[in-house]
Parts: sequence; C-alpha cells; structure tokens
Amino acid sequence: MALPLPPSSNLHAVLLVTKSRSLGPRLVFHYPPLSPSAAALATNTAPTWFGNETSTGSIDSHSSSSDWDSSTETEGADDDIEIGSRTSGGRGSGRTASHRADSHRHKGLGAGGSAAGNAWGRQESIDEEDAGSTAEGKQKHRGVGGDRDWNTVLGFKVDALEKMLCPTKAFNKRRFELGVESCVFVGAPMFVREDGMWKKGRRRKRKEREVANGDLLAGLSLREEGNGVAHAEEDEKQGEGKSSAPPTRSVSTDSFEYPVGFEPGYGHGLMSGAASGAASEAGSDTRSNSTTENALDDMTMFNVVFVLNPPALEYQLRVKEMYDNVTRKYAKALKYEQARFQYVWRESKKVIGIKQRAKENGETLSGTWREIISVSPLAKSIAIMFDAISHEKIAHIHFDRTFSTSFQIPQRDSTPFLPNAMEPQMPGLWLTTSNVAIGDDLDAPMTQHAALLLLQDSEILVKEFEGDSKANAFLAFCIRNIVPTKSLQKIALKHNILGADMEYIASHLVYWRRARLIAPLHPRDTYIVSPNADMSALPSAIPTFAARFSTLPSLPKMLSMLSSTPRPYKTFIPTNEHREAYMDILAWLMRGGWVTQLRTFAWVRVTPEIKALVAQEMEREALATNPENVRRHPSDDSQSEIFFPDKRSSFLSGGRPSTPLRRPPRRDDEDSENNAILSPRAAYRGSPARPGSDAGSTSSNRTAIPLSAGRPTSPMHTQSKPHRPSPLHLKTTSPSRSSNPSLHAVLSPTSPSMPGQAQTHHRSPSPPLPAHLTPSHFRASLVLSPQKANAMEARWLEKIGASFDDDEVREHWPMLLRHLDGRHALEDMNTREGIKRKRVAGLVNGVRKEGWLVIVRHW
Amino acid sequence: MPTRAIKAIFFSRFHHEKGSRVLHQVPEGSITPSTSPSALSAPLISFDSITSYLIPTQQFCDRLLTFCTNHHRVIGYPVCIREGKYSRNEFIFNFALVVEEALADWTCYGDVVRKLGRLLRGLEEQGGFVSREEEGVWDDDNAARGSGGIGYAGGGSKVYALCEMVLEDLNNYAECMIPIDESNTINLKLFRPQPPPPPIHSYQVPLLTISLSSLTSPISSDLTLIRVLPFINGINSVAHIAQLADTDLSLTRKAIQHLVYYGCLILLDIFSFGAIYALTAEIGGFVMEKSVQEECARYVRVPRMRLGSKSVRMGSDTASRERSRDERSSMSSEASRRSDLSPLGVTDFDSSPHLPGQGQGPHQPQTHINNEDDSSAIQHEHLITLYTSLRQGLTLKTWVLENLDLLHGIDIRRLITFGIIKGFLYRVHRYAIATHSMLPPAPPASLQSHPPSAATSTAAVKDSEHATIRAVQGQAALLHKQAIASALAVGGTATATAAATAAATAPNGSGMGAGTNSENRDVRSSAYAQTETPQRLESLASAGNADGEDEDEDGDGLPLVRFLDGMHSFDEICMEVGKSEKWAEERMRRGWGADAQFVWR
Repeated sequence: MALPLPPSSNLHAVLLVTKSRSLGPRLVFHYPPLSPSAAALATNTAPTWFGNETSTGSIDSHSSSSDWDSSTETEGADDDIEIGSRTSGGRGSGRTASHRADSHRHKGLGAGGSAAGNAWGRQESIDEEDAGSTAEGKQKHRGVGGDRDWNTVLGFKVDALEKMLCPTKAFNKRRFELGVESCVFVGAPMFVREDGMWKKGRRRKRKEREVANGDLLAGLSLREEGNGVAHAEEDEKQGEGKSSAPPTRSVSTDSFEYPVGFEPGYGHGLMSGAASGAASEAGSDTRSNSTTENALDDMTMFNVVFVLNPPALEYQLRVKEMYDNVTRKYAKALKYEQARFQYVWRESKKVIGIKQRAKENGETLSGTWREIISVSPLAKSIAIMFDAISHEKIAHIHFDRTFSTSFQIPQRDSTPFLPNAMEPQMPGLWLTTSNVAIGDDLDAPMTQHAALLLLQDSEILVKEFEGDSKANAFLAFCIRNIVPTKSLQKIALKHNILGADMEYIASHLVYWRRARLIAPLHPRDTYIVSPNADMSALPSAIPTFAARFSTLPSLPKMLSMLSSTPRPYKTFIPTNEHREAYMDILAWLMRGGWVTQLRTFAWVRVTPEIKALVAQEMEREALATNPENVRRHPSDDSQSEIFFPDKRSSFLSGGRPSTPLRRPPRRDDEDSENNAILSPRAAYRGSPARPGSDAGSTSSNRTAIPLSAGRPTSPMHTQSKPHRPSPLHLKTTSPSRSSNPSLHAVLSPTSPSMPGQAQTHHRSPSPPLPAHLTPSHFRASLVLSPQKANAMEARWLEKIGASFDDDEVREHWPMLLRHLDGRHALEDMNTREGIKRKRVAGLVNGVRKEGWLVIVRHW
Repeated sequence: MPTRAIKAIFFSRFHHEKGSRVLHQVPEGSITPSTSPSALSAPLISFDSITSYLIPTQQFCDRLLTFCTNHHRVIGYPVCIREGKYSRNEFIFNFALVVEEALADWTCYGDVVRKLGRLLRGLEEQGGFVSREEEGVWDDDNAARGSGGIGYAGGGSKVYALCEMVLEDLNNYAECMIPIDESNTINLKLFRPQPPPPPIHSYQVPLLTISLSSLTSPISSDLTLIRVLPFINGINSVAHIAQLADTDLSLTRKAIQHLVYYGCLILLDIFSFGAIYALTAEIGGFVMEKSVQEECARYVRVPRMRLGSKSVRMGSDTASRERSRDERSSMSSEASRRSDLSPLGVTDFDSSPHLPGQGQGPHQPQTHINNEDDSSAIQHEHLITLYTSLRQGLTLKTWVLENLDLLHGIDIRRLITFGIIKGFLYRVHRYAIATHSMLPPAPPASLQSHPPSAATSTAAVKDSEHATIRAVQGQAALLHKQAIASALAVGGTATATAAATAAATAPNGSGMGAGTNSENRDVRSSAYAQTETPQRLESLASAGNADGEDEDEDGDGLPLVRFLDGMHSFDEICMEVGKSEKWAEERMRRGWGADAQFVWR
C-alpha cells in the first residue's frame, strides 16, 4: 500500500529499430512523426503531483518552482544551448558522421557478404546524410516546423540514433535502458537465435542458409518481397504449415488467442515437417516473383524503444512500469509474430520502402505517416500503442486475424490514504480501506464477498466483448447479471455460475479497468462524499447525471445531502418505489469516486471494573494454589504488561534491570533508518514519537524502559504494524524526503526541540500501581487484537462476555471479537459470518450500549 | 550518503588506433580484468558490450548518457573535444561512474558526472590536463598488455587520483573538494532530488517543523523569507502572514513554498470553531500506538500556571484563559491574540509558551514540576474518545460543547492540529455549487468587463453605469465614494452592517480579516444581478446609503460567481473576499436560492 502517484506514462515517442545484415541498424518507424526534441523533453520534467493548477495563486507559485530547481533545470537548459550550438556548429560534424558511416558500411559488408544488397542500403544512407544536412540547414533558416525533416528524430541524427539503439547481443531479452540527459530510451531488444530462428525449435536454419548463401539469396529475398505484397502470402503459408504438420499447427493457432501464454510448446512438433515446409515456402516464394528491391531476409535484431522523460523522483517507477507492462510484452508479442510470419521484418521493409519513396519525392512526414499507418499493421500498432499509453489508456493491438492483445500500465483503483496538501494529489481516486488486504487472514474469500461495480454500463461492456471473440455469450450473461448490490457469491449462486468463473471474470474486468471490487452497496450502509472527490469534474458530471436521473435530485443536491451528518443511505430514499433508482444513483456516484462508504471499526474497551474483577479472581486463584505467592500480585505484573508492553519483552531479553543506559546508543540511527523506510508522511504520522525533552525526570523509575529497547520484539507492536496504514511503501513509489541527511534534523512538529539537542528518553506516564484490586487502581484500556490477545486480555474478554445479559450477545461474543480489532469493518461482518445484517446491528448495538466499544468510522 | 552507492569510477578514452580503452578504474578490476592484487575478481560490467555508449557518436557526446547493464547503471558524460592538435582532430573521453541499477535517486550522481565531465573538458581545453599524462601510455600498452585496463603506475596519474578521491569522498561524505592546480578546484556534492513543492494558497496555514531561529547562520538572504518567518506559527494563514509582515502575497507564497520544498514546513488549514474535522483511515495507528498518544498528550496539554507565573506572558495567558473559561474559547484565539499583541516577541516555533522543550529558562522547571501531573491528567483514553467523536457533519463548536468535561486542560487547537499533522484527521471543507443552468443570465454581464451588446434602450444606461463601476475598479475607493454610493449602494444598511458584524465577530479570529478592500469582490452586485434591472438598480441606489462597508464590497468587479463551481472551499472564498463564511453563505443563498448547494467534502 503506497500513496499512489497520479498515472503518468511520460511517454513521448515509440521507435522501432531493426538491425539486419543488409541494411545494418535501421530506424524503421517512429511515432509520432513529429517528435519533440530530446533536449526539449529534458527540460520539462516537473512531476504532475498537484495536477493542473486552477486557482489564481498557483500561477506565480508554479512559475516560481522553476526558480529553485535551477540546480538541475537551468543546467539542463544550458546544456541544450551547448548542444544546439555544437551540432549546428558546422560541416565538421557532418564529416565525421559520414566517416563513421563509411566504417559502418565496411562492417556491414563484412557481415552481410552480399555486396549488392549492402551497397543498396548504405549508399542510400550516405546520400541521406548529405541531403539531410542541407535540408536541415534550410529548415533552420525557414523556421518550418520540421514536417520535412527526414533526418532527425527527437533532435538526434537518425543514423546516430540507429546505432545507439542497436545494442549488442548481450542485451538479448534484457531491459535496454539508455538515458540521454533526462530522457530515457526503454527497449526490449529481441535477437534472432544463433540458429537463425526467432523461436526455439523453429524449423529453418539460418546458418545453413548462410552457407548456401549464393544459391538461396535470390529466392529468399524474393520471398520476402512476396510477403510484403499481400496477406495472401500469410494464408498461403499457414496452409502450407497445415499440410506439413496439420495437428500441431492447428493447435498452436488456437492457442494464439492468449498472448502471454504462447509458450506452451509452440512448434515443438514441427521439427519433422520443418524442412519440407521451408522448402515449399521457398519454392512458392520464388514463384511469386515480384521484383523491385533486393533485400535479404536477414534481420538479426529488432528493438522497440519507448522514449520517456520521467521526473527524476519517479524515474525508477515509471521506467519499470513501462518496461514490465508495455515494452517487454509488446516486444514479446512482436517476436512471436516475427517467429510466425516474419512479421516485423516484412512490415519493416514495407515501411522503409514507403519512407524511402516519400523522402525522395520530398513529401511531408505527416502525410507519409498517414500512408504508412494505413498500409502497415505494425506501424499502426505502434501508433495505437503510443496514443493509448501516452494518455494512460489501454492499447488494443490487433496483430492479425488470430492474435490481438491489449497493453496497459495498470492503475490503482483505490487508496486508503487521503493525501494532504503536500502530497501527490489524485482527485477522483476512490478512497477506501476495503481493498486493503488485512494481514494474513481471509484474503481470497473477500473476492467472493465483494460486489463488482462495473465502471461502464453493462451493455457497452458486452458490446466491447462481442467485438472480441467467441465465448462471449456466457461472458455477456455474466456481465449483464452483475449488480453492485449483491456479492459475487450471491450472483453466482443465483444464476448458476461457477464461483471460480465469476471470480475470473471479476479479476479480468478489474485488471482491465472495467470494474472495481466494492463492498456490496446497501441502503443500510452509510455513504459520505469522498474527500478525494474530483470537484473539477463537476461541470461535466452535472449534466450527465441530470440526463441519467432526470426526475431525481440533481448531483449537487445529492452530494449536499450525503455530505451532511452521515446517515444510512436509506434515509435519503423518499419511498420504496425510489429505492432502485437511488441505488443506481449510489452506484453512479461510487463509480465516479464521488462518494465512499463510511465504515465502522471498533475495539474492545476494558473498563477498570473488569480489570479489578479479574485481578481479584486471579488473586483468589493464586491464593488457592500457592498462598505464599500472594505478594507477587500477578495482576500487577500483567497489568503493567498491558500498560507497558515493552516491559515484558525487556524482561525476556535478559531479565536484568533496565536502566536508561541500556538504551541502544544509536537511537538516532535507528530513527533515520525508520525514516528511510517511511515516507515523509510517515515521518510525521506513523513514526514513533520522538521522545520529548520534557520527560526524563522520571527516568530512574524502575519501569522506565525506553520504548525503543523493546519495540522490535514486542508482539503488541508487531501486531499493530501491519494494520497501521502508514504508507510504508511510499519510498518505492515516490522519493522519500526523509532520506535527505539534512532532514534527519527535522523533528516532529508536535514535539519540537532544538536540532541537536540531546534526546532524553521518556517513559509511560503512569507510575506502577500498587496492588490494590479496586477499580480505581486500574485504567481502562483497549484490547487491540482480540484474536491475538495475551492471557490477561483473554480473561478480560471472557469476563466481559460473561457479563452480557442478552443471551444472544453472549453467545456471539467470540464471533464478534473476531471483528473488533479495528481493521475489520463491522459492515462486512454479515457477509463474512453469514448472518443477517439486522442481527449484526443488534449484536453490535448490544455490546455498544454497555460501553465496551471504542468505535471509529472512516472509509 | 552512508550507503557507498558508487560501486566504481572509471575513465575511458577513445584511441584513434586502439579504439576504446579503460585507462583508469577504481577499484581495480571493476570494469576490465586487472592483474593487480587488489583487483575485483570479476568486472561489474562487461566493457566490450557497452563501449558504444561510453564512446558514442558525435551526436551523443557532451551530454549525460546512462545505461543499464548487468544490474548496474553506468552514468557517463562522454566529452569530445575537436581540435587540430589531437590525432584525427578529436579527443574523446568519458569519466563515468557505476551505481546499482535499482538505486532510487541516482539522478544526483548524474549531476555530479555531468559537472565532472564539463570540468574535465575545461581543464583539457585549458592545459591538456587529460591528454598530457597520456604520453607514452599507449606505447606501454602496446608492449605490456593485450586486453583490459592499461597498466598505469596508479600513483602517477592525476586522473586516477581524481577517480579515487571522488569515489571515496562521495561515498563517505556525499561531497568532495579536490584541488587540481592553483586555479582550479573540483567541488562536488550530491543533492538528492526533492519532491516538488505544492502550490501555496493564501488560505493555508504554515507550521514550521524545525526551529529555524536556533540555526546559527542566517538561513537565507531572501528578505521576504526573513520577514515572513516570525509570523509562521501554525495559526496565521498565508494571507494573514503577508499582511502582518507587510510583504507581497505572491512573494510570501513563494517563500513558504521554499520552506515546504526543504521539508521544514507543513501546511494546515485555518482553525475555526465552525470547521468540521473527521477521521481518516489512519486513526487506527493513533489508537494502537501508545507512543503517538503520549506525544499527543504532551502536545495538547495546557500548562498549569498555579505555581505562579514566572513570566509575564504566562500570566496574561492565565488571565485570558480565566476570562474566557465559561465560553471555552480556543487557545488558538488566545495564541493569536498574543501573537498579535507582541508579534516580534514571539519568534519561536509556536507562539504558545507551553511548548515542551522550548528551552526557555523560566519555563523549564515549571513544566518539569507539572510534568507528572499533566500527562497523567490527560488520559490517553480521553484522547481517543475525543478524536473518535469527531465526525462529518459535526462542527467543532458542537463537539466542544458535547465533550466539555474531557477537554479540561486540553488545547483544542493543538488537539486538532495534532490530528491533522499525523494524518488521522482531515478538515472537511465546505464548497458551494450552483447548478450551471441556474447561473444568473444576462445582467451579470454588467459585472464582466465586456457587456454584451444589448439591443434595448436601457443598454446605454447600463453601460454608463458599468463604466462607473469599472472606473472604480482598482482604484482607491475614497475618490469615488460619492459616485459609487449614488450609483450602486445596493442592499441597504441592515444587511451591510449585519455582514460587517458577522465578519468582525466571526470565530475565525486568526486571519480572516486579512483580505482588505483591494481583494474585495463585488459580491453583492452579482448576487443581485439575477433579478435586478437597471431601473431597479437605480431605485435601490437612491434608497441605499453610502456606508463604508458598501464601498469595500464594491471595490472589485469579480463576482462571487466564480467560487460557485465546487472547486473553492469556503476558507478560500472568505480569504479572497475578506468576509466571514456566514456572510458569503448568505449572499449565495440570496443570489441563488435553492440552486446553491453546499457540499462538505
């Protein structure tokens, strides 16, 4: 659980680079056609934590922010100027570039072994350079937007970029991450295997072909041309595949539906048929004799590169998100297609061809790009990818008839933390603790008990899935029957759907941002206007709401009603006939994050009377068993145990009297370690209290055990840790302010002291109690976790349980206790325990009446 | 940085005949295998696979290049110097360092590398700092070794020494100062990236988290900051601070933003008894953590004065508390009163004198004596009860009345502030929403700068009036007093004075009065605009009287409408308008009737 950062891919371009024996490194395609220069991207790196400023004041405060970021930003700017001056500096650079290109050509020659093919590729590129520099010069003078600038991408010379983005084979299937100033190129290079195949166990042996280069050369290149021309080729190929190894092939095509799982032994059975297949393919290609160009089927690597400019603080997070969710998966999918139909290389040549022609004709980039995208599915997929991902959407990529898949960077759908004014803002994010996994117990069953709130209308969703494919009748059936007021379990039962299926569908919908798991909406539950509601969405939401619920109160009216003193939702429903409509409203409001459920949490409060009773009892027992031991006052020890949970552990940890000197000498370090883990917020919120300087007078007291000494081992504390929703993980997602060494001087604002002032340790304020067993000598306390209660607490709870007059309450007391730990919402009790809601309310009220509960209500 | 994050530093060079080579590496063997006895057994990274990024093409030189390989991140700044004196007219080198790939904030190392690269470039251009010591090296290389690092005698090379020193110093001290020659020194320091500071609004209340006054050296040469600091006490809003310190509001904001950026300040909301606070999910942490409760008890305790006040301030505090006992007025208002009375005397972290550990002589023994007493007086259970009884829809005033007994000896403002700081309370702000279609139709145009072309005959009248209004805008009201009075005094004295008193007596004593006429908006006119025709206006104008309040209200042309989109909390509205919440609400209700909805959020 971390404080979420607003989704922001920082994606600015997608590049496809291939390396082939004939053409060398080639930047095949980039999108968008007119890319911002890397230098411009580098300067623009402010995180979007606080959204777009709306208020009057923020304008100047915003502009001011660049002032003190000067340490990085202005340097960056200087740098850009430098770069600019240097590159525009002169012909000299052009010269070296061409020199390098020359050397490169030699290399290419050596590798390719076909003088003709290489000459074709490289000759062109040299011309490109010359043309490029002049064109560039012209453009600079004219100040044209660069729509005809064929030679730079992202402000880099294309050939330089090509070279940089073609890593060595050591990067095969690894993350390729190249940072240029604050821009980063994230790619997943895919190399052809040593045996010349793109997949393990594929048929053709590239090496063989190289041996037989001279013979095969013509045929192979022609075949590729054929591929480039039409899809018919693809079909033909499949047909051939089937003829050569029918069963395996068909199986594998079926499994193509599932992008991630294309590993299941694809093509293993094909080895036998391989040779014949290849032969026949080659044969057919030779026959389909189309010739204009003369290229080799010799791609050795391709690399899809995503260009981001993440803010420094979010660098690791954003790059990782992009690589794990998009870059790698996309590259894998492409490789899979490449293995099947030479997809990447075929498309690449198509694109290269179009670009070449357009460039010679002096066409504009944007026009050409339109053409490319309309012709090449690969280019189109890159464009779709860019458009979707750069807008934090889901990219649906259709590779071919049998294979389409989606990519996204998953987003958080809820958070338990309300950001304060200084933390990243995510207005509209659903605020709730209901999605927080509670410790170790009951994780899985919660999905069953949760309801699914569709974020789109079911009909729209169904339509979307129909577009997809086959088994959607069932899917549509499920989706149509999903209501946010019933738990999945109930829905499944009612409609005879397998629970596992239901859960699978639910998780699928949730992952693809179509639904959210919520506690079933119920009129008896209380809902409040979420403090995290996105008020800036109001202007558009009001008419939408009005159109949808035309005869009902307006959105502002609803919000106004819900935002006064919290009441069960049913009290807003005027009549029974309105119930359904109002529940629809509620679902709508939940969808938009306007409201959230106010949930109730409780702890058991043990009164002094109970403690006294128990203590007396125990003394009696002790007397009965061992009269000599009376002096020990068992109650006293356990009593203080509760008050000073640390004491127990320190006793365990050695039994010698604790003195202040036993305090770990490097308390500061410990704190700073904590701080390093905790977020800045946790430093304020969750971190243990800094010992105030005002204590200490009592430190010589016997019970004065420094809190820090026992804390790590104290079971009490370890119990409390998982619950406390302090954003422990903020560090991973967002930069921790407290890691700044200078900030270790920062004190909690509530217990300020001079920096550097010696921290005196403090103690619990209550002195040890004399062992009188009257209530006045005890203090009320809470049982924080009845499930893990120690012996004394258990006795107290037992005592309380016995004190109920109501039989039913007494009977259910152990069950109730399971939920009285401050982390389980009482609202969830009925579904978890399978009792009626009303009954739960009755039980809780019974306990509450007696004053045994400390109740808090939050989301 | 105690983490020793830099794993290696190396210096590589492109030789026109031998290609890219590592000339120096610290530690030995970290980049290329070395025969040195202290060398690492295996290189951290494979140099051969990354040479094209260490010594890249011209295009990528002179900028920061980083790349990841083998779980390490290599941060380099390739420098290419083009000059005739070098063979092939160029001299390319790269001073790069290696950190763990997963290192979260590696960007500060990038800054260091960039600076080093530029420095070395400068040194090389000035006097051949790098190239001079290469003489003979490449020949040696020829003879001595085939692969890997070049067999410099490590001690002799300045660049090698540089590598060594930078590695050690940055790893140990996060900074270094290395004299190069009599005129050049390398100064490096690692600056962690800081999160961006939030925008500061005039209605926010800053509270310092460290005692800046205890720092020996002046913290800044920013004059605004220095003037503003004394007034930052967790009570004054930004606008109020600007007023007290007599500083420009936007500069004040900026100064406060600086403090937020460096983590010495947090932002609160304006404390008032009309406000609503409710629990966040983090209340569980408070309930379960004894230590936080103790901290809280210390923080919210009102000091006992009965042992005799040793300072005048304490005395007056007691007195004022006694005065207001029956009403249980806030400590905050007292505190603000105190700070108002002696704004310069109280320059500390917080103006309240009972701060634990403030370290002021006279208070120390006192708090000491009372310590036991006080902390036991505030039972943790009471704190829990108090906090958990806060909820949505319950104003602080009501809450105080409900919990009078428990609040004994507790500073209410601090109690609330503590919750806000720790994050288990949040302020439930109030917003006004007017349904869009219900916005006043044509007439409000009179309040905008460009009246629509009304074809009616009244248009002229209107226009002239608007001219008057606009003429008034932005000017000192005095000159135009009469003009406005006659033209625009709408609303009658009754409301005006009511509003005035409301504003004056509003419980938000702490800074509500900050906005003065310059910030005022023409609220009334907008509120009325819906129904007023020019004729009516005129009649009203004749009926109205020239009250001082009226003028203030009409000072500016921007109506209250702009606050009615649900984006502006009443704190903000009141701050902008300079009026009380009651007043604003009343105006809205009158202007929009049932169409104005109020949402607590």
